[in-house]
Amino acid sequence: MRPVRRAAFVAIIVVAGGLALTGGAPAWAQASSSPATQTPPAPASKAPTPEVPTIPPGTAAAVLTKNKAQAILGQPIVSTKGENMGRIVDVIVDKQGTPRAAIIDFGGFLGVGSRKIAVDWGALNFSPTGKSERITLDLTRDQLKSAPEYEKGKPVVVVEAKGKTQPMPSGEYPLDE
Amino acid sequence: MHAYDKRELTVHDRPPLSSSSRSQRGLDGFNFFIANVQTGFGPFIAVYLTAQAWTQIDIGFVLTVSAITALAFQVPAGILVDAAAHKRTVGALAAAAIAVSALILAASPIFPLVLGAEVLHGLASCLMTPAIAAISLGLVAPHEVGERLGRNARYASAGNGIAAVLMGAFGWLFSNRAVFLLTAALALPALVALFQIRRSEIDPERSRGGPVDKSERRSPLHGIVDNRPLLVFGAGMVLFSLANTPMLPLAGGIMTMRSSQWATVLIAACIVVPQICAAIISPWIGRQSEIWGRRPLLILGFAALPIRGILFAVLASPYAFVAVQVLDGVSAAVLGVMLPLIVADVMHGTGRYNAALGTVAFAAAIGASLSTALAGYIQDRWGYAAAFLSLAGVALAGFGLMMLFMPETRPMES
Repeated sequence: MRPVRRAAFVAIIVVAGGLALTGGAPAWAQASSSPATQTPPAPASKAPTPEVPTIPPGTAAAVLTKNKAQAILGQPIVSTKGENMGRIVDVIVDKQGTPRAAIIDFGGFLGVGSRKIAVDWGALNFSPTGKSERITLDLTRDQLKSAPEYEKGKPVVVVEAKGKTQPMPSGEYPLDE
Repeated sequence: MHAYDKRELTVHDRPPLSSSSRSQRGLDGFNFFIANVQTGFGPFIAVYLTAQAWTQIDIGFVLTVSAITALAFQVPAGILVDAAAHKRTVGALAAAAIAVSALILAASPIFPLVLGAEVLHGLASCLMTPAIAAISLGLVAPHEVGERLGRNARYASAGNGIAAVLMGAFGWLFSNRAVFLLTAALALPALVALFQIRRSEIDPERSRGGPVDKSERRSPLHGIVDNRPLLVFGAGMVLFSLANTPMLPLAGGIMTMRSSQWATVLIAACIVVPQICAAIISPWIGRQSEIWGRRPLLILGFAALPIRGILFAVLASPYAFVAVQVLDGVSAAVLGVMLPLIVADVMHGTGRYNAALGTVAFAAAIGASLSTALAGYIQDRWGYAAAFLSLAGVALAGFGLMMLFMPETRPMES
């Protein structure tokens, strides 16, 4: 318990529950599932657009290639040490639509014993320098194991990486250069 | 497998079962491979859909619909199996339907298809349990039913345990989709084994618990709701599943919290250990049930559960949890044999065996579906120890009910 407390700074962010979860996250997730034809969700300084199914002719559109943006729902996460950290199952946004935390499904075997944990958005690295395209998290399994479970409609306890106590300002996400 | 062969030698010293060993072997194999196939479903489906970028809301909805289907169809499925002329055909159709739903899941994880596959799987599973029990009853003489059901439980547990390891490895080595392809593929040996059973050796009357008396044929549920030993046993099963179902998931949550390095391995061990125990002791339980009677064994199975709840509450080490799971193996083996056996005892001569089995399974499934939410609430409010102790309390009530009100149901020797 103690080393975990020292290593991870656990902050409590009260998200306006239903609004962020039922309104923001699914729409955001939907938009991110076909990144090739839609505006990227990450540099959102405005609220997420709820539906952009097809783009009629004459409408402004941005094309994002595979190395510029990626869908993240269901993506596996690894720690910087290469440990399996589970998968992203949801994203928590604030009133501005800025991502604050990712919900990851962590641990367990064949679906038994896994828990949903909120981790700081800034602790996720979407284009790690060098080798793989995997999403990495600046936390270890030991730091996550005692984290409280994420539950809908309750204050979200977000596990933050050491030395990253400041939430990242919007628009500065480490997308691919 | 060598261990199994040795056990079989001791079986051969006893008078042989009344049907051919080919049919008996076929039923062993069917139990084994169907347990393989069923392990591919269950909680693993949530892992698969999560990896397919499904939202938690959609996953929850599909699993709820699937659970409600399985619940609603239990009793009708039992009535249907009673009415069916050929129980082997029912088993084959159910196995094929489960394979089809696994193939649908592997081929195209889109919402309407997954929903359809889950409903199909729920319906087929409801038919499968009574079909296997009916084939068993029809295949052997009444005094051999305990031994036959013990063999069923052995091969089902071995199938579950081996499949959990195999599918975990498959998902890790290949992909989550490969697990469902493997699941569908395992339905083939199940069908081959099923057709080893000679249809002529399955007595249709015995397989539904005696002849249907046409003169007093009222409703298909007649003789179920006014059957006192059946009601006591059913109430005991509700309490048992209420207490039993959330225990492993709760323990898994603790293991993930206390041990990061070994959590996955320990949880896998907690799933497999009870299956190994049940595979070892189930035939013994089946044989003893014909010698000692059902009651002492039933009480043993119900006693293991409160002890397990208390041990989970007081033990700190996740490694000790694996040892505690031996108790899960004891109760799983006892109830795996006793559920079909006691229902066969109390429904003897009614012709409504499978309807009664479906009714008890329905009651137990209601207990199971309420329990996870209940245990989750207690754990959330008052912590893990309180949740385990509450479950132990419910289990103790079940034990007391069996102690005080459950009669011996073994038929008198002729």
